[in-house]
Amino acid sequence: MSSTRFGWRVWVVFAALAVLPAFPFMTGYRLNLAFDALLFGIVAMGLDLLMGYTGLVSFGHAAFLGLGAYSTAILLERGVRSLWLCLLVAIVVVGLYALVVGYFATTRRGIYFALLTLIFAEVVYTFFRYTMTFGGSDGIQGLEAAWVLPAVPASAIDSPLKNYYTVLVLLLLAYVACRVLTDSHFGRVLIAIRENEDRARFLGYNVRRYKMGVCVISALLTGVAGALYPVRLANATPDLLLWTVSGEAIVMVMIGGIGTLVGPVIGGAFFIVLQEEVSTYAPKIYQAVGLSADKGVGLHFLIIGVILVLIVLFMPKGLLGAVRAVGLRRPRSMAPAPAGGSE
Amino acid sequence: MDYVVAVLLPQMLHGLVFGAALGLLALGLTVIFGLLGVMNIAHGELFMLGAYFGIVVIALTQSFWVALVVAPVGVALVGALLEVFTLRPLYKREPLYGLILTFGLALTLREIVREVWGGDMRRILEPIAGSVPLLGMIYPKYRLFLLGASLLLLFGIWLFFTRTRAGIIVRAAVQDAEMLDGLGVDVPRVFTLTFAGSAALAALAGLLLAPIFTVVPTMGVEMILLAFIVVILGGMGSLGGSVLAALIIGEAQSLFSLWMNPQRVAIALFTIMILVLIVRPRGLFGREGVLE
Amino acid sequence: MVWKRCVGLVVGAGLALGGALPALAQDVIKIGDLGSKVGVFEGYGRWQTYGVVLAVEEINAKGGLLGKKLEVISEDDDTKPGPAVRKAEKLILQDGVKLLVGSISSGATMAVMDVTKKHKTLHWNAVSCAEFMRTTKFHPYYFANQPDSRMQANGMAKYILDKMGKRVYLFYTDYAMGQSDGRQFKTAIEKLGGEVVGVAGAPLDTKDFSPWFGAIKASNPEVLFLAFAGTDSLRLMTQLHSFGMTKQYKLAGIDCFLLQQDLPAIAEPMEGFVQLNHFSPYNPDPDMQAFVTKFKKRWGVDPNIAAGAYDGVIFWAEAVKKVGSFDADKVAKALEGMCMDNTHIGRQCIRPEDHQMVMDMHLYRVEKGKNLPIVRIAGKDTIGEPMVGKDPVEGFTWEIKKK
Repeated sequence: MSSTRFGWRVWVVFAALAVLPAFPFMTGYRLNLAFDALLFGIVAMGLDLLMGYTGLVSFGHAAFLGLGAYSTAILLERGVRSLWLCLLVAIVVVGLYALVVGYFATTRRGIYFALLTLIFAEVVYTFFRYTMTFGGSDGIQGLEAAWVLPAVPASAIDSPLKNYYTVLVLLLLAYVACRVLTDSHFGRVLIAIRENEDRARFLGYNVRRYKMGVCVISALLTGVAGALYPVRLANATPDLLLWTVSGEAIVMVMIGGIGTLVGPVIGGAFFIVLQEEVSTYAPKIYQAVGLSADKGVGLHFLIIGVILVLIVLFMPKGLLGAVRAVGLRRPRSMAPAPAGGSE
Repeated sequence: MDYVVAVLLPQMLHGLVFGAALGLLALGLTVIFGLLGVMNIAHGELFMLGAYFGIVVIALTQSFWVALVVAPVGVALVGALLEVFTLRPLYKREPLYGLILTFGLALTLREIVREVWGGDMRRILEPIAGSVPLLGMIYPKYRLFLLGASLLLLFGIWLFFTRTRAGIIVRAAVQDAEMLDGLGVDVPRVFTLTFAGSAALAALAGLLLAPIFTVVPTMGVEMILLAFIVVILGGMGSLGGSVLAALIIGEAQSLFSLWMNPQRVAIALFTIMILVLIVRPRGLFGREGVLE
Repeated sequence: MVWKRCVGLVVGAGLALGGALPALAQDVIKIGDLGSKVGVFEGYGRWQTYGVVLAVEEINAKGGLLGKKLEVISEDDDTKPGPAVRKAEKLILQDGVKLLVGSISSGATMAVMDVTKKHKTLHWNAVSCAEFMRTTKFHPYYFANQPDSRMQANGMAKYILDKMGKRVYLFYTDYAMGQSDGRQFKTAIEKLGGEVVGVAGAPLDTKDFSPWFGAIKASNPEVLFLAFAGTDSLRLMTQLHSFGMTKQYKLAGIDCFLLQQDLPAIAEPMEGFVQLNHFSPYNPDPDMQAFVTKFKKRWGVDPNIAAGAYDGVIFWAEAVKKVGSFDADKVAKALEGMCMDNTHIGRQCIRPEDHQMVMDMHLYRVEKGKNLPIVRIAGKDTIGEPMVGKDPVEGFTWEIKKK
């Protein structure tokens, strides 16, 4: 089972993305939307390393996203404008947190792993939302733009176009990193762990260490994406840390195709664009047909929910995965009641 | 002494009231987990649905009491349909798919409710208004009723599981579904009915708590994490465990609120949860080896 | 398989393009109406829309503004700063609004202020009352007619201490607005010699307030001052009442505590509640009643403070007419110092220093479910000195001073 390869097609897509801003319909507003889409694409891709390649479902990725965002926000708030410094601090912070979570979460498998990641993330959320240390429920607002070249104000990332290219470069780097990782020996061991953890252990691999490693790497990808968030939106709020955001990341991976790396990026983009367009137009359509406009506000979640249910039931490998991605794991043949403790 | 009476005892009473209702909610969750291996994220939405169905019935019949009977039945039906059409196909698969699916169900149910009833807060008036002097303070009658009703229901459920044939079959299924199948019991039907029952319990909890908490589409999201904590602490699949854990968590939340900012109480609870998951994942009374 | 990906990309691009529906008419001027349309503050958000639309309809009926028709674009900000920023950006960049009215939550309004400052868009705030908006966060395109916490404290503190009680407990909603109210009222009360016996904050959207009641009782106050809004207030009053606390203490609070339309449902718990407000449909003042009649005729319901958004649009339109242009700098300059008579509260003037509306207000008391006026408070007594750029909470401490 080699990882899915799309070869040269990926580079064509990147080229297309690079020239996208040249089109007239890409207004500042749409460029910002594209930014969000690609950002969450990176988040989903990071999660896919964990879900698709190692078979571990994390319900706590929002914490990595939020910690990355807050790291940058706190620095920008205090006048530290260098983009690199912000990214570096985000990596350190998210990395430390991921080590802790990874260490404890990997002691357990399956649903327990998911629950542990969830609860750690909830602690982070509660801390940021309910204590006033970092602005409480309002978060950190009114941030200045980050500079690419330290001490050179002209290199500030302060327009939708610059935002867009920043995230595109990051996506490129992230993709290359993931590709290298999954094609390497490390990547193959991950897949082995996913297929049959015990066998991998018996073959002599330190499964725990691999799991922790991929946890941290996955977290860092998401965290770096999170670090870019305040660069565009000039704020960081506790909403980024909600466990439902972790769920949304999982949705992005499932829709796009687990285990394909590229799929989740598309899943993320799809999710963001759907959310924006539906939340803008649904209330207006509702109003036009005489229904209360505020009912339309959550319609995109309904659509996503239904899509997710359908995908899990009928297309668990997602949009891209039907041919070559591998899904979560080989199916089990036992009845659901886990008597006897099989996983 | 004054402090104890004026502040401490009422807080403990709050904890008891909330804990009992939480027990109803968590009970359904833990049974489903023990039986189907599914951690039902949509359980919170079933809780919420109970309140909304209650609103409908009350609008039609003007009676909270009728709603208390009819609404859970309605939600049980919804639960049964969900189980047959969306969960059953997943039993043969990796249990994590169930988790993801129920997340999708939760989203869907919540938004359907919002589409039908709107996102505004709704109120269900307390069927028993007024307060009584108690412990040197004035305590709302409805909260006392809530405590009584929850305890009564829990007792009733205990009787069901220990004294009725149906209840014993469910417990047996939790222990070893394959064996039960071999004995000729229609296991899929047991699963469906149990799921429906769990949904009914959640709905009851939702309707009972609605006059205090008010009704919004997101009321399930707020409760589900607490319910998870209770189930983990009590031991996944352990009925008595989840009830006991619910009371403990209810009291802990109440008492911690006296000494730390109530919202940070959540951090304390989560930390306890992490410790439990790491040190003794089967909780108080869970079976060893379940999903370890 | 490649097809699927292409389909995915095309669908994605299509959705993005779908937003490319062109503006229908060229000579339409758009006004953005941003606020909480659902959730805890939806009552304010919707009434803000009513106020804005009412004003726009009046202006359009008279031929529009500078010959162009006005159009209102309403967006929901989910009562959070994050979505508020996105929607503000959309209104400004995508829809090209010339005036942005909003938001409801103080946190959201302050976040939106960053956006309107960056894009030099006129920003009118009719509801949010945190004290930072006309001080540290102020920018030249921002205007407000909502009395902020400092103004309310200035107007109310003396009455509370003289007529209600010297021992006050401050209970507020724990985010920008409530904290601001807590700070300003604590400062004002202590400055006048009153005693603040306790302070506590509950998160926005708290379901059950009873965990806080023990501490309130233990501190034994005479007056319970409440800084909550929307559905939180509804729940809080119901629960306070069921624990007998509404009869035990005197009640006071902020102007946006409860919407008039929600009052009948909790008339009994709210009996005797005192607040400072620039609006009440039960005020017999002829100017007020004229507005109430007009509003009710259009919408079928009584207006509330969010209808102050009406004034915002009217003032802005006047300024535009005066300078003959929609240019933000010119209009902002024209608005400074502008006055209008016969508004719902008589004469209103925009103070040039901090763009805050100076207007008279009333102290109101709830009697049998109606907000009835007690006494009129002059605008100059509440406005306080301008503190643009200064930190309004310098030197403040939450510490309770024991007497």
